[in-house]
Amino acid sequence: MKKKVLAVLLGGCMVAGLVAGCGGNSGDDAAKSEGGSEGGGYHFEVVVKSFQSTYWQAALQGIEAAQEELGVTTNATGPNAESDIADQVNMLNNAINQNPDGIALAACDQNSVIESLQSALDKEIPVVCFDTGVPDAPEGSVYATVVTDNEAAGAVAAENMYEVIKDTIANATEPVRIGEVNQDATAANIIGRGMGFINKMKELIEADGKTVAVIGNQLYVDSVENNGDEASADVIIEVAVPAQTTVELSATEAANIMNKDDTIAIFGSNQVTAEGVLTANQNLNVLAATPDEGIVGVGFDAGATLKAAVADGTLIGAVTQAPVDQGRIAIETLYKICEGEEVSDVTTDSYWYDAENMEDENIAPNLYD
Amino acid sequence: MANKTVTKTAGTNKSFIDRMGGQKFIVLLIVIALFIFFCAMSPGFRKYTTVVSILDYSYYITLMAIGVAFPLMTAGVDLSIGTGLVCYSLIGGYLIVHQGWPTGAGMVVSILLGVLFGILNGCLVAIMELPPFLATLCTCMITRGVGSVVVGGFGIPWPTAAAPGGWFRSIFKIQVNGMNIPIGFLWIILIVIIMTFVLNHTKMGRYTLAIGSNKEATRLSGVNVRFYHIMAYVICGFFAGLASISYSAIFATVQPGSGAGFELEAIGGAIIGGVSMTGGVGSITGTLAGVFVICLLKTGLPFIGLTANWQQIITGLVLIVAVLFDILKRKKEGK
Amino acid sequence: MGEVILTMKGIDKSFPGVHALDHVDLEERKGEVHALMGENGAGKSTLMKVLTGIYKKDSGTITYEGKEVEFHNTREAQDAGVVIVHQELNMLGHLTVAQNIFIGREFKKGIRIDDKKMNEEARKLFDRMNIDIDPRETMSNLTVGKQQMCEIAKAISHDAKVIIFDEPSAALTEAEIAELFKIIRDLREQGLGIIYISHRMDEIKVITDRVTVMRDGTYVGTLVTEDSTKDDIINMMVGRVIYEDPKTENMTPKDAPVVLKVEHLNAGKMVQDVSFELHKGEILGFSGLMGAGRTETARALFGADPIDSGDIYINGKKVTIKSPQDAVRNGIGYLSEDRKRFGIVVQKTVAENTTMATLDAYANGPFINKKKEKEVAEKYVESLATKTPSVDQLVVNLSGGNQQKVVIAKWLTRNSDILIFDEPTRGIDVGAKNEIYKLMNQLAAEGKAIIMISSEMTEILRMSDRIIVMCEGKKTGELDISEATQENIMNMATREIN
Repeated sequence: MKKKVLAVLLGGCMVAGLVAGCGGNSGDDAAKSEGGSEGGGYHFEVVVKSFQSTYWQAALQGIEAAQEELGVTTNATGPNAESDIADQVNMLNNAINQNPDGIALAACDQNSVIESLQSALDKEIPVVCFDTGVPDAPEGSVYATVVTDNEAAGAVAAENMYEVIKDTIANATEPVRIGEVNQDATAANIIGRGMGFINKMKELIEADGKTVAVIGNQLYVDSVENNGDEASADVIIEVAVPAQTTVELSATEAANIMNKDDTIAIFGSNQVTAEGVLTANQNLNVLAATPDEGIVGVGFDAGATLKAAVADGTLIGAVTQAPVDQGRIAIETLYKICEGEEVSDVTTDSYWYDAENMEDENIAPNLYD
Repeated sequence: MANKTVTKTAGTNKSFIDRMGGQKFIVLLIVIALFIFFCAMSPGFRKYTTVVSILDYSYYITLMAIGVAFPLMTAGVDLSIGTGLVCYSLIGGYLIVHQGWPTGAGMVVSILLGVLFGILNGCLVAIMELPPFLATLCTCMITRGVGSVVVGGFGIPWPTAAAPGGWFRSIFKIQVNGMNIPIGFLWIILIVIIMTFVLNHTKMGRYTLAIGSNKEATRLSGVNVRFYHIMAYVICGFFAGLASISYSAIFATVQPGSGAGFELEAIGGAIIGGVSMTGGVGSITGTLAGVFVICLLKTGLPFIGLTANWQQIITGLVLIVAVLFDILKRKKEGK
Repeated sequence: MGEVILTMKGIDKSFPGVHALDHVDLEERKGEVHALMGENGAGKSTLMKVLTGIYKKDSGTITYEGKEVEFHNTREAQDAGVVIVHQELNMLGHLTVAQNIFIGREFKKGIRIDDKKMNEEARKLFDRMNIDIDPRETMSNLTVGKQQMCEIAKAISHDAKVIIFDEPSAALTEAEIAELFKIIRDLREQGLGIIYISHRMDEIKVITDRVTVMRDGTYVGTLVTEDSTKDDIINMMVGRVIYEDPKTENMTPKDAPVVLKVEHLNAGKMVQDVSFELHKGEILGFSGLMGAGRTETARALFGADPIDSGDIYINGKKVTIKSPQDAVRNGIGYLSEDRKRFGIVVQKTVAENTTMATLDAYANGPFINKKKEKEVAEKYVESLATKTPSVDQLVVNLSGGNQQKVVIAKWLTRNSDILIFDEPTRGIDVGAKNEIYKLMNQLAAEGKAIIMISSEMTEILRMSDRIIVMCEGKKTGELDISEATQENIMNMATREIN
């Protein structure tokens, strides 16, 4: 008898766990989608990169806003981590099989989703990519792409960082080092952002008559045109990529760079890597407002920890994208497609924020916790 | 066989290594050798701050490893500690940050959740007789989901050291004259001493090893095997709870959906330290040393310019060597 | 007996710190059953492992079919025709008989395994052995005895010229043993050389032609079985004469109270309506064939397996036993037939095993008092004359007899009044056996009540005050020792029920 009661309890726990597992992804959207078919409203499936980062939660806010505004329903799914590529493809295929009126997709990996996009095309389901584009998508499958101009976003970081460190570079007699920690070397937006930073920084430095060498992760080094020689360069840009997107591994990579005596600045190119820089700084305590006092830190995206670090000046500033806008625009674009309107690619802005302008009204909404 | 064994273990002619604790001692030597190696290879590594970082990142793995050593020694395993850690930390942090609970209360909730899932794991394994691998794989998924549901997908920033309620961060690290003192390591040492005592001098420890060595014979000795079997998982869950606090204290933000894979580092550390996956054998001090092998590799390899992918390859190889060592030793004893 | 087929001469083998074989000789002829005897640890197994290539000898020569040979592994030995039939059966339960026999060298048709041919070949082997086993039967469906036959068939199928039997009869019933002997005699007729390792003295007399005795890794001598007596062989093995007469009268005091009363005990198929009484100071023998339900009765009584119905009274008081914990609390101790699986925790020390059932007595709350634990362990090592270098020795390193003493010590520390000895001397050599018997008698004299389950008739007749006989899960007889004979026990043990 005792065993039976236990079995029921455990079964209950398991079911609860399963519901929880799915519920974590879709939340209350599931409930909405049920009522969605009435009133001529369209139903869209949304597949995001993960629910791990609060960034995606902000995007979902935009999606929910669009949902209310346009009277459509959406169902959002996404893998646990941005590196779970296979899971995402599976979720995308499931979304396609639901025969929605459209799909909004933020692809973890630009190559893995191509086959699925073909089947979406075959089923005539329009797809709008947001956050990350899929350059090699089958002709006609992706109707529009809503992305941050990542190259530009990286460049924004480089410009603002250069403002603070240019005198030091100009006056340096020994070579100096700028670090960049990137989340990975596969997704187009991350690579674009990383390269945007590198190229802009290189351009600015070279414009002032100094030479630059990019070292570290092979993919980034190979992407640099006219790379300089490490031995003779005035400025070394060192690019590090942790094996997994964990704060701890990012912190180790960051600490490695920040430990070097010639390092004057460091850039964490997304939320996790920027938090890695901050975690490393807990022990090193080298981040400062100017290169004379220590190492200048720049972050990317938001989140409570990053926002706090920008507010108290640990980081001189950070670049934020517009996830709320992206989510909203993706749904709006799908809606337009269904209404038969012409659509085209949209680039959303990214903003530099620092202790001064954090509260501004065009910036604050995108600074999610 | 009798005449043979008598001479073999007559005592005094034990090798130096055996007298120093066998595999534990070798692992300790490896830890020291690795440390010296990385110091020699990288100027960045031989800084005080790096040592502090290594310790910072070791606490949660060490605590998980000490905990998981108990299920391992019963010839089981607990795969739920990694995602569990994140789950407990998320929920505890959620109560503090979003519900205004005092920090201490949130920490207690984290630990209690660990104990609760430990009890669940223990019941599944000891009463329902599910294979430990399967049972804890299920709770691994459950904890992963539960954590995300409670916080609604948002990362949880536990209070910073300066913020009100941030006192708990100084459990592991205090600042004296601008220097970070990793006092967390003192707690770890204390816990290792306590758990070594528990393992070697209490019924709990004795029966944990006995269950792993021969569960049926232990049962037929009139031991309440069920209770002690469950307790092994409860201890494991309790330590996952402690680990979640150390994780919250070291890292600024806890992200839902993370944590998978932490358990493998803890299990790996325990095995390198001489805990046998087939049960019945193990030590806490060895586990501590084993964890540091993993932590040193993890921190050291990036410093000498190897990417973290290489770190995983090398950690895998080290594990194979450790397990082979265990098997060879057993073969020798078996003869 | 034919010409010499195998000679081992001056075989020497050392392990670190142990001189396992010291210039041992062995000669085997065609058509001969040659017993290899010695106490546990005498070096019999090591010698056979050297022969079949598992161990490499340090020195000495092996001459086989006139040529000096050295096998490097069992495969080479098999191919040459030297095959060992192990005591523990290495059978794959889910495969068929034929698949087991030909595992590793299956007949093939293209890339497909030719099961039909394997079945035919297996059938031929069984025909040659004059036994009837269906080669298509799943191995786990066969009785232990039949499985053993398959193992022998497998050995013969290697075109064996020398077959080594390592305690083949340990797990067999009397009837199965008779069948085994018939097969061995057939093989002898066919000119094979048979090396037969066994502890059972009566078997040696029945089946073997010559006996080689080893002691402590040395060669003691070879006798022709016909010309020697049991005592001769035992003397060579242990260097002393062993008393082995049956008990003739019930030694229990007339007025001894009943300490355990079992009424209408039912537990599964193997325990049906079993009732008996056990007196203080009595040794109650449980006899019967393998699978008669004796061990199951003991396990049910001990709470190891669930009881369906029936009442148990201890010292006149009705008790409920649902788990071993309950049994232990009521003063019952159980010494399992399978020590390694159920009796001891092999990777733990003598001291830890000794206190396994009584840790509470040596602990302050949850904390173990290791000093006290050591003291009590040492006390029992001394009083039971357990041979161990120290109480910190791992039990796995002790011989079978000494392991058994550790298990006994475990229950004595608990002060158990009722001790169930299930096959107390299985796998224990003659010398140690005697010590166990002495110990049991001593315990009974001290007022412990003992249930002894044994498959060895001589053991039952020698030790018991009363005898209960079981057959197919039912009690089929109860005898006082004064009226018990091998014949009437066997009669009851094989009695058809209903």
